[in-house]
Amino acid sequence: MSKYLLKRIFYLVLTLFIVASVTFFMMKLMPGTPYTNQEKMSADQLRIMNEQYGLNKPLIQQYFIYLGGLLHGDFGTSFQFNNQPVLSLILTRLGPSLQIGAQAMIIGSLLGILLGAVAAIRKNTWVDGVATFFSIVGISIPNFVLAVLLQFFLAFKLQLFPIALWDGWSSSILPTLALAVAPLANTARFMRTEMVDVLNSDYIELAKAKGNSKWQTVAKHALRNSMIPVVTIIGPMAVNLMTGSLVVENIFSIPGIGEQFVKSIMTNDYPTIMGLTIFYSFLLTVIILVVDILYGVIDPRIRLSDSQGAH
Amino acid sequence: MKREKSLILGVTTVAVTLLLAACGNSGSKETAKTDTASFATSDVIATMDSALNTDVIGAQALTDTMEGLYRYEGKDIKPAIATKIVKPTNNGLTYTFPLRKNAKWSNGQPVTAADFVNAWRRVVDPKVGSQYAYIYEGIKNAADITTGKQPVDSLGVIAKDQHTLEVTLEKPIPYFSQLMTSSTFFPQYTDAVQKAGKRYGTNSKTLVFNGPYKLENWNGPDSSWQEVKNTKYWNAKAVKVKTLKYQVVKDPSTALNLFQSNKLDRTSISGDTAKQMKNDTHYSTLQKSATFYMQVNQEKNPIFKNPKIRQAISMTINRKELVAQVLGDGSSPISALTPKNMSFNPTTKQDFVSDLDPVGKQNATYKPKEAAKLWKEGLAETGQTGKTFNYTLLGDDTDAAKKQAEYLQNTLEKNLSGLKVTLANVPFKTRLTRSTNGDFDMVVSAWNADFPDPITFLDLFVTGGDNNNGHWSNAEYDAQIKASKVDNANDPNARWQNLVKAQDIMNTESGVIPLYQSGVAYLTNPSLKGLDYGPSGNYNNVSLYLKK
Repeated sequence: MSKYLLKRIFYLVLTLFIVASVTFFMMKLMPGTPYTNQEKMSADQLRIMNEQYGLNKPLIQQYFIYLGGLLHGDFGTSFQFNNQPVLSLILTRLGPSLQIGAQAMIIGSLLGILLGAVAAIRKNTWVDGVATFFSIVGISIPNFVLAVLLQFFLAFKLQLFPIALWDGWSSSILPTLALAVAPLANTARFMRTEMVDVLNSDYIELAKAKGNSKWQTVAKHALRNSMIPVVTIIGPMAVNLMTGSLVVENIFSIPGIGEQFVKSIMTNDYPTIMGLTIFYSFLLTVIILVVDILYGVIDPRIRLSDSQGAH
Repeated sequence: MKREKSLILGVTTVAVTLLLAACGNSGSKETAKTDTASFATSDVIATMDSALNTDVIGAQALTDTMEGLYRYEGKDIKPAIATKIVKPTNNGLTYTFPLRKNAKWSNGQPVTAADFVNAWRRVVDPKVGSQYAYIYEGIKNAADITTGKQPVDSLGVIAKDQHTLEVTLEKPIPYFSQLMTSSTFFPQYTDAVQKAGKRYGTNSKTLVFNGPYKLENWNGPDSSWQEVKNTKYWNAKAVKVKTLKYQVVKDPSTALNLFQSNKLDRTSISGDTAKQMKNDTHYSTLQKSATFYMQVNQEKNPIFKNPKIRQAISMTINRKELVAQVLGDGSSPISALTPKNMSFNPTTKQDFVSDLDPVGKQNATYKPKEAAKLWKEGLAETGQTGKTFNYTLLGDDTDAAKKQAEYLQNTLEKNLSGLKVTLANVPFKTRLTRSTNGDFDMVVSAWNADFPDPITFLDLFVTGGDNNNGHWSNAEYDAQIKASKVDNANDPNARWQNLVKAQDIMNTESGVIPLYQSGVAYLTNPSLKGLDYGPSGNYNNVSLYLKK
């Protein structure tokens, strides 16, 4: 296991290195300068600024300077926020995004698993029908539409929640709900399909034959095995929540990180683009690693070891 | 069966608990406040370092919390840290400012001439990297210092004594008083800058204030901030509102919901929300000192050198319809590049735009028949009759810019026979790069005044100007601009006439095709009074008050 982990961590670092390198060179292909006042500066002034920030050096040299900084944990300073270290920018903005993302993920997947399981157990009854209906609605409505509706009815009309702004935990509820619906619906659908299969399999029959009650069987055998495909989609869903919450964050005026990412690209804020790309890639690769480990925990048939050469 | 029920019960319980917990947290409604004004703002503060700031959000926060030699009150420039409006001596080359002895920093220390000298030197210091260094051009040695040819301490500004600041110019700057209200010329508390180094202005802990308000608990990328009254401000007794709250709200319908729930006293609205609220009693619009205009690429397409062709293009555009139907955000039609409500005749106090020749302004009115005629004549004169033209119209990729480009495309193709317009709506930086490289046939550009004087617009279009992307060139125009800067720099009235003439030439020639003056639609709480939006594009919040 530890050998496997080491190997995976090596690949993780390699992936990050490749992502960082490719992003660096692609980013430099974008037209324009990182200066907000570019339009009003003369060619002479632009030249001086470029010298000041080392942007006049050959690209390959800039690349190695950047990598050198990275090795010392230096992500550089932002251009949009003059002299603000990129790391402190990420850390300040990350909290709210991570919080609503994680809350949505937890609520969405837990409720989704329950909903899917109940639907499968009560297959072809009204319970199943209602659950399926909600799954389809949940997948079909984009989260920003839901966000606007929640904001208007629950916050503006009924005044149950804050309309927007980031002020205490209560401000995170509506954005969390808006974001949770899609993962909830997705999880429920996968869970139901898999659970129906599992419930028809031989070992469930065996478990029942051994005298276990229906609910004991479900809890002990069916639930765990049905969760494998759910775990598979948790990774991509987490990434979707990390990157896809920008619009919802805007609607609720939440100081999240997604918006900074888009803005840094629009303004050629090179150090911020790099910092956030590396950061997002890191999160993504870690999530994939965690998901792979979770497989083994959930399903004893999948064991992570070198001898099997899996993964 | 029992278990199943409990499972369903469990799900319901989780959901209900969540809902209840939420209610408990937010149920209380805010009571009406009389000492706090809440504003929605469109973006975060990028920096509080007055030497580095380039945008209006930062400029507003600096105007609230710091103070330079002068301050705008309404349309008038009033002494602030200086004790009077100074008349230059030595042929307009020397300004000696006596400073207010009772002016203090928020830590109780006096505001000294040295605080100005040190702050100004930072702006021109190439190591600091100010993107507004060029605005110092004309102050002795400023240009040479920014290009590294002279040491920073050779800048023409010295502290004669603790409360006397002397500024020496290389050439007279007719708009020098306007510049002195600008945040780029604010002082900085010297010790704070030395202590914080590069981090100065990245959070409120690095700052010491000398203006009406103090910024508290602000971290660089924060999306909300609070300014509290600065009791050490020399004119603190004039400041009526205790706290100003700013909150970044990007979504117009969220802004509307917040406003209608009394969470905001003033917010801008845009797009459909603005159109929808047009007849609301809280609705008002504000004209900014910024204009949108079209340039045609004369270098790439020689037919654009023909004035009739340019006039024809200008006359096909129904600017009233454009702002009302397409934009609907409070923008207003213009007939000249220089915006209204920005600069005023030194003697008659008439608006610059009212002083212009009405004949030239006619070119920016909607006259489709005359446009078609001029287009035909222009094509005949250039020997292009009967040909077809496929031109690219370059613009930004914002929603408003896209709609506006479609509108222009439609009206141009409809009224000018043989003209086909292809749209290229690209990100801002790409638009700039393509404009500079001449990679366009027509482009919609915008300009925001650096300081409230027509020259900030007119100077762009002299022959060879950096932002003269269409390469329009007119010798008489160039001569008027030059005269305004050199021969008549010390004669405000003669200089004014130069600028009026220059704008008239541009109008008659349709050298640049004006479109509209950018406006913003606002919703304002009626008890918020004394809003004072000055020509420099910032509010003077000293006069703000809340009617109880």
